[in-house]
Amino acid sequence: MRHNLLILVILAALSGSAFAETITTTVNGMVCAFCATGIEKTFRKQPEVATVKVDLPKKLVTITTKPGKTLSDAKIKEVVTFSGYAMGKIVRQK
Amino acid sequence: MKKHFNQLVSYSVLAFVRRRARTALALSIGGFFWSVAPPLQAKPLSYVGGTMVMQENDETGYTLSIDYTFNPHFALGLYSKYEINQDEFWMAGPELNTLIKRWNLPDGQGNIFSMTGVGMARQGSNNQPAAWAALLADYETRRWFFSYEPRLTYAGDIEKSFWQRGYAGFAPYLANYDELNTWLLLRVDHHPAKHDHFVVTPVLRFFYKTIWLELGYSSNNHVMVNWTVQF
Repeated sequence: MRHNLLILVILAALSGSAFAETITTTVNGMVCAFCATGIEKTFRKQPEVATVKVDLPKKLVTITTKPGKTLSDAKIKEVVTFSGYAMGKIVRQK
Repeated sequence: MKKHFNQLVSYSVLAFVRRRARTALALSIGGFFWSVAPPLQAKPLSYVGGTMVMQENDETGYTLSIDYTFNPHFALGLYSKYEINQDEFWMAGPELNTLIKRWNLPDGQGNIFSMTGVGMARQGSNNQPAAWAALLADYETRRWFFSYEPRLTYAGDIEKSFWQRGYAGFAPYLANYDELNTWLLLRVDHHPAKHDHFVVTPVLRFFYKTIWLELGYSSNNHVMVNWTVQF
Protein backbone atom coordinates (compact mmCIF):
# COMPACT_ATOMS: atom_id res chain seq x y z
CA MET A 1 0.00 0.00 0.00
CA ARG A 2 2.78 2.36 1.01
CA HIS A 3 4.69 1.33 -2.12
CA ASN A 4 1.72 2.18 -4.39
CA LEU A 5 1.31 5.54 -2.71
CA LEU A 6 4.96 6.34 -3.35
CA ILE A 7 4.58 5.48 -7.05
CA LEU A 8 1.52 7.71 -7.29
CA VAL A 9 3.40 10.62 -5.71
CA ILE A 10 6.33 10.17 -8.11
CA LEU A 11 4.02 9.96 -11.14
CA ALA A 12 2.15 13.06 -10.03
CA ALA A 13 5.41 14.95 -9.64
CA LEU A 14 6.66 13.83 -13.05
CA SER A 15 3.43 14.69 -14.82
CA GLY A 16 3.37 18.09 -13.09
CA SER A 17 6.84 18.93 -14.34
CA ALA A 18 5.79 18.06 -17.90
CA PHE A 19 2.99 20.63 -18.01
CA ALA A 20 3.29 23.53 -20.37
CA GLU A 21 3.15 26.96 -18.83
CA THR A 22 1.10 29.89 -20.07
CA ILE A 23 2.76 33.22 -19.39
CA THR A 24 1.10 36.54 -20.07
CA THR A 25 2.93 39.84 -20.02
CA THR A 26 1.91 43.39 -20.77
CA VAL A 27 4.23 45.27 -23.12
CA ASN A 28 4.50 49.04 -22.99
CA GLY A 29 4.99 50.70 -26.37
CA MET A 30 3.38 47.88 -28.34
CA VAL A 31 0.89 49.98 -30.27
CA CYS A 32 0.97 48.61 -33.81
CA ALA A 33 1.24 45.35 -35.71
CA PHE A 34 4.73 46.24 -36.91
CA CYS A 35 5.85 46.56 -33.28
CA ALA A 36 4.16 43.33 -32.28
CA THR A 37 5.81 41.36 -35.07
CA GLY A 38 9.27 41.93 -33.63
CA ILE A 39 8.19 40.77 -30.20
CA GLU A 40 6.37 37.74 -31.59
CA LYS A 41 9.30 36.66 -33.77
CA THR A 42 11.86 37.13 -31.01
CA PHE A 43 9.83 35.04 -28.57
CA ARG A 44 9.31 32.32 -31.20
CA LYS A 45 13.09 31.99 -31.51
CA GLN A 46 13.37 30.95 -27.85
CA PRO A 47 13.74 27.15 -27.60
CA GLU A 48 11.37 26.96 -24.60
CA VAL A 49 8.49 28.63 -26.45
CA ALA A 50 5.71 26.68 -28.18
CA THR A 51 3.26 29.43 -29.16
CA VAL A 52 3.02 33.21 -29.00
CA LYS A 53 -0.20 35.22 -29.20
CA VAL A 54 -0.46 38.99 -29.38
CA ASP A 55 -3.46 40.99 -28.18
CA LEU A 56 -2.89 44.58 -29.32
CA PRO A 57 -5.91 46.22 -27.62
CA LYS A 58 -4.84 44.84 -24.24
CA LYS A 59 -1.10 45.19 -25.02
CA LEU A 60 -0.69 41.56 -23.99
CA VAL A 61 1.67 38.88 -25.21
CA THR A 62 0.71 35.33 -24.22
CA ILE A 63 3.45 32.72 -24.41
CA THR A 64 2.87 28.99 -24.06
CA THR A 65 6.00 27.05 -23.24
CA LYS A 66 6.82 23.55 -24.39
CA PRO A 67 5.93 20.80 -21.91
CA GLY A 68 8.29 20.81 -18.99
CA LYS A 69 9.86 24.13 -20.01
CA THR A 70 9.58 27.59 -18.52
CA LEU A 71 10.84 31.11 -19.15
CA SER A 72 12.11 33.13 -16.22
CA ASP A 73 10.93 36.69 -15.62
CA ALA A 74 14.46 37.87 -16.37
CA LYS A 75 14.45 36.07 -19.74
CA ILE A 76 11.06 37.51 -20.66
CA LYS A 77 12.26 40.98 -19.78
CA GLU A 78 15.41 40.42 -21.82
CA VAL A 79 13.39 39.39 -24.90
CA VAL A 80 10.97 42.30 -24.61
CA THR A 81 13.79 44.80 -24.08
CA PHE A 82 15.83 43.30 -26.92
CA SER A 83 12.80 43.75 -29.16
CA GLY A 84 12.82 47.44 -28.24
CA TYR A 85 9.93 47.59 -25.78
CA ALA A 86 9.27 47.73 -22.04
CA MET A 87 7.85 44.85 -20.05
CA GLY A 88 4.92 45.29 -17.68
CA LYS A 89 3.26 42.80 -15.37
CA ILE A 90 3.74 39.01 -15.75
CA VAL A 91 1.02 36.45 -14.96
CA ARG A 92 1.76 32.70 -14.98
CA GLN A 93 -0.61 29.75 -15.30
CA LYS A 94 0.13 26.02 -15.35
CA MET B 1 37.62 53.11 -54.33
CA LYS B 2 35.26 55.09 -56.51
CA LYS B 3 35.40 52.38 -59.16
CA HIS B 4 34.54 49.67 -56.61
CA PHE B 5 31.70 51.71 -55.28
CA ASN B 6 30.29 52.27 -58.75
CA GLN B 7 30.47 48.55 -59.44
CA LEU B 8 28.67 47.80 -56.19
CA VAL B 9 25.93 50.22 -57.04
CA SER B 10 25.58 49.04 -60.61
CA TYR B 11 25.13 45.42 -59.51
CA SER B 12 22.62 46.40 -56.86
CA VAL B 13 18.94 45.94 -57.44
CA LEU B 14 18.63 49.54 -56.44
CA ALA B 15 20.07 50.47 -59.79
CA PHE B 16 16.68 49.83 -61.31
CA VAL B 17 15.68 53.33 -60.34
CA ARG B 18 18.27 54.88 -62.60
CA ARG B 19 15.86 54.46 -65.43
CA ARG B 20 13.05 56.75 -66.23
CA ALA B 21 10.72 57.43 -63.36
CA ARG B 22 7.70 55.66 -64.79
CA THR B 23 9.77 52.57 -65.51
CA ALA B 24 10.98 52.53 -61.93
CA LEU B 25 7.42 52.79 -60.67
CA ALA B 26 6.28 49.90 -62.85
CA LEU B 27 9.23 47.78 -61.75
CA SER B 28 8.67 48.53 -58.10
CA ILE B 29 5.02 47.56 -58.13
CA GLY B 30 5.39 44.62 -60.48
CA GLY B 31 8.46 43.22 -58.81
CA PHE B 32 7.07 43.55 -55.31
CA PHE B 33 9.52 41.23 -53.62
CA TRP B 34 12.41 41.97 -55.91
CA SER B 35 12.75 45.70 -56.13
CA VAL B 36 13.28 47.52 -52.84
CA ALA B 37 12.51 50.92 -51.23
CA PRO B 38 11.91 53.16 -48.05
CA PRO B 39 8.82 55.06 -46.99
CA LEU B 40 10.58 57.49 -44.76
CA GLN B 41 7.49 57.83 -42.60
CA ALA B 42 7.76 54.15 -41.58
CA LYS B 43 10.22 53.36 -38.84
CA PRO B 44 13.68 52.85 -40.35
CA LEU B 45 14.45 49.91 -38.03
CA SER B 46 12.61 46.64 -37.60
CA TYR B 47 13.38 43.88 -35.08
CA VAL B 48 16.83 42.41 -34.58
CA GLY B 49 17.52 39.98 -37.40
CA GLY B 50 14.72 41.46 -39.48
CA THR B 51 15.04 42.76 -43.01
CA MET B 52 12.86 45.60 -44.21
CA VAL B 53 12.22 46.42 -47.83
CA MET B 54 10.67 49.79 -48.47
CA GLN B 55 9.63 51.87 -51.41
CA GLU B 56 8.23 55.33 -51.89
CA ASN B 57 6.82 56.68 -55.14
CA ASP B 58 5.63 60.26 -54.83
CA GLU B 59 5.88 63.79 -56.16
CA THR B 60 9.56 64.03 -55.15
CA GLY B 61 10.67 60.85 -56.87
CA TYR B 62 11.16 57.13 -56.44
CA THR B 63 12.96 55.91 -53.35
CA LEU B 64 14.08 52.38 -52.69
CA SER B 65 15.86 50.80 -49.75
CA ILE B 66 16.59 47.56 -48.00
CA ASP B 67 17.69 47.55 -44.37
CA TYR B 68 18.87 44.84 -42.01
CA THR B 69 18.46 45.47 -38.28
CA PHE B 70 21.47 43.96 -36.55
CA ASN B 71 21.03 45.57 -33.14
CA PRO B 72 18.05 47.08 -31.27
CA HIS B 73 19.49 50.51 -32.10
CA PHE B 74 21.02 50.11 -35.55
CA ALA B 75 20.07 49.03 -39.06
CA LEU B 76 22.33 49.02 -42.07
CA GLY B 77 21.02 49.19 -45.59
CA LEU B 78 21.18 50.40 -49.13
CA TYR B 79 19.32 53.51 -50.18
CA SER B 80 18.52 54.82 -53.62
CA LYS B 81 16.41 57.67 -54.92
CA TYR B 82 15.54 58.88 -58.38
CA GLU B 83 14.65 62.51 -57.80
CA ILE B 84 12.06 64.10 -60.11
CA ASN B 85 11.21 67.23 -58.18
CA GLN B 86 12.46 70.00 -60.49
CA ASP B 87 15.87 68.51 -61.42
CA GLU B 88 16.13 64.84 -62.23
CA PHE B 89 19.03 62.89 -60.79
CA TRP B 90 19.77 59.56 -59.20
CA MET B 91 21.45 59.02 -55.86
CA ALA B 92 22.42 55.81 -54.05
CA GLY B 93 24.62 54.43 -51.34
CA PRO B 94 24.79 52.60 -48.02
CA GLU B 95 22.78 54.05 -45.16
CA LEU B 96 22.95 53.67 -41.37
CA ASN B 97 19.68 54.05 -39.46
CA THR B 98 19.89 54.67 -35.74
CA LEU B 99 17.29 54.61 -33.00
CA ILE B 100 18.50 57.53 -30.90
CA LYS B 101 15.77 57.44 -28.28
CA ARG B 102 12.54 55.54 -27.66
CA TRP B 103 9.81 56.19 -25.14
CA ASN B 104 7.68 53.12 -24.42
CA LEU B 105 4.53 54.33 -22.73
CA PRO B 106 1.52 52.31 -21.53
CA ASP B 107 -0.60 53.63 -24.40
CA GLY B 108 1.89 55.00 -26.88
CA GLN B 109 5.36 55.08 -28.27
CA GLY B 110 7.69 57.93 -29.23
CA ASN B 111 10.92 57.66 -31.18
CA ILE B 112 13.75 59.70 -32.54
CA PHE B 113 15.69 58.11 -35.38
CA SER B 114 18.52 59.29 -37.59
CA MET B 115 19.25 58.16 -41.14
CA THR B 116 22.64 58.97 -42.61
CA GLY B 117 24.30 57.83 -45.78
CA VAL B 118 27.03 58.49 -48.29
CA GLY B 119 27.19 57.46 -51.92
CA MET B 120 27.08 58.76 -55.44
CA ALA B 121 24.75 61.02 -57.37
CA ARG B 122 24.42 60.96 -61.14
CA GLN B 123 22.82 63.45 -63.50
CA GLY B 124 23.42 62.57 -67.11
CA SER B 125 27.17 62.04 -67.33
CA ASN B 126 27.87 64.11 -64.23
CA ASN B 127 28.81 61.94 -61.24
CA GLN B 128 29.22 63.52 -57.83
CA PRO B 129 29.83 62.24 -54.31
CA ALA B 130 26.67 62.46 -52.25
CA ALA B 131 25.69 62.46 -48.59
CA TRP B 132 22.41 62.74 -46.77
CA ALA B 133 21.26 63.02 -43.20
CA ALA B 134 17.78 63.00 -41.73
CA LEU B 135 16.05 62.88 -38.38
CA LEU B 136 12.69 61.26 -37.84
CA ALA B 137 10.63 61.96 -34.73
CA ASP B 138 7.33 60.15 -34.30
CA TYR B 139 4.70 59.55 -31.69
CA GLU B 140 1.86 57.08 -32.05
CA THR B 141 -0.89 55.50 -30.07
CA ARG B 142 -3.34 52.94 -31.37
CA ARG B 143 -5.54 55.88 -32.46
CA TRP B 144 -3.16 58.75 -33.35
CA PHE B 145 0.01 59.14 -35.38
CA PHE B 146 2.34 62.13 -35.74
CA SER B 147 5.77 62.39 -37.32
CA TYR B 148 8.25 65.01 -38.42
CA GLU B 149 11.28 64.49 -40.60
CA PRO B 150 13.85 67.10 -41.67
CA ARG B 151 16.40 66.00 -44.27
CA LEU B 152 19.59 67.44 -45.77
CA THR B 153 20.96 66.28 -49.10
CA TYR B 154 24.32 67.12 -50.60
CA ALA B 155 25.34 65.97 -54.06
CA GLY B 156 28.07 68.34 -55.22
CA ASP B 157 26.92 70.64 -58.00
CA ILE B 158 23.86 68.45 -58.68
CA GLU B 159 21.91 69.09 -55.49
CA LYS B 160 22.18 70.86 -52.16
CA SER B 161 18.82 70.91 -50.44
CA PHE B 162 16.87 70.95 -47.24
CA TRP B 163 13.48 69.24 -47.11
CA GLN B 164 11.02 68.52 -44.33
CA ARG B 165 7.93 66.38 -43.96
CA GLY B 166 5.19 66.00 -41.40
CA TYR B 167 2.43 63.44 -40.95
CA ALA B 168 -0.65 63.61 -38.74
CA GLY B 169 -3.51 61.16 -38.72
CA PHE B 170 -5.76 58.75 -36.94
CA ALA B 171 -7.13 55.23 -37.15
CA PRO B 172 -10.90 55.29 -37.75
CA TYR B 173 -11.19 51.92 -36.03
CA LEU B 174 -8.86 50.00 -33.72
CA ALA B 175 -7.76 46.76 -35.30
CA ASN B 176 -6.06 43.86 -33.62
CA TYR B 177 -2.73 42.29 -34.58
CA ASP B 178 -4.15 39.84 -37.13
CA GLU B 179 -6.61 42.28 -38.70
CA LEU B 180 -6.26 44.92 -41.41
CA ASN B 181 -5.23 48.24 -39.86
CA THR B 182 -6.39 51.40 -41.65
CA TRP B 183 -5.22 54.97 -41.10
CA LEU B 184 -6.30 58.33 -42.50
CA LEU B 185 -3.45 60.83 -42.59
CA LEU B 186 -2.43 64.19 -43.94
CA ARG B 187 1.13 64.60 -45.14
CA VAL B 188 2.75 68.00 -45.66
CA ASP B 189 6.05 68.34 -47.51
CA HIS B 190 8.08 71.52 -47.52
CA HIS B 191 10.73 71.86 -50.22
CA PRO B 192 12.22 75.38 -49.92
CA ALA B 193 14.48 74.88 -52.95
CA LYS B 194 11.81 73.47 -55.28
CA HIS B 195 8.91 74.86 -57.31
CA ASP B 196 6.20 73.52 -55.04
CA HIS B 197 7.29 74.81 -51.68
CA PHE B 198 4.42 73.19 -49.79
CA VAL B 199 2.74 70.01 -50.98
CA VAL B 200 -0.18 68.50 -49.11
CA THR B 201 -1.11 64.83 -49.58
CA PRO B 202 -4.11 63.09 -48.04
CA VAL B 203 -3.00 59.54 -47.37
CA LEU B 204 -4.71 56.21 -46.82
CA ARG B 205 -2.44 53.82 -44.94
CA PHE B 206 -3.09 50.11 -44.60
CA PHE B 207 -1.08 47.50 -42.84
CA TYR B 208 -1.50 43.88 -42.09
CA LYS B 209 1.14 42.38 -39.80
CA THR B 210 4.37 43.10 -41.70
CA ILE B 211 2.97 44.41 -44.96
CA TRP B 212 2.36 48.14 -45.20
CA LEU B 213 0.79 50.14 -48.05
CA GLU B 214 0.16 53.87 -48.42
CA LEU B 215 -1.87 55.52 -51.15
CA GLY B 216 -2.27 59.23 -51.69
CA TYR B 217 -2.80 62.03 -54.17
CA SER B 218 -0.82 65.25 -53.69
CA SER B 219 -1.90 68.86 -54.11
CA ASN B 220 0.43 69.12 -57.12
CA ASN B 221 -1.35 66.20 -58.79
CA HIS B 222 0.95 63.25 -58.18
CA VAL B 223 -0.13 59.79 -57.18
CA MET B 224 1.66 58.43 -54.13
CA VAL B 225 2.22 54.69 -53.66
CA ASN B 226 4.46 53.56 -50.80
CA TRP B 227 4.97 50.11 -49.41
CA THR B 228 7.04 48.30 -46.82
CA VAL B 229 7.57 44.62 -46.12
CA GLN B 230 9.39 43.12 -43.15
CA PHE B 231 10.66 39.57 -43.08
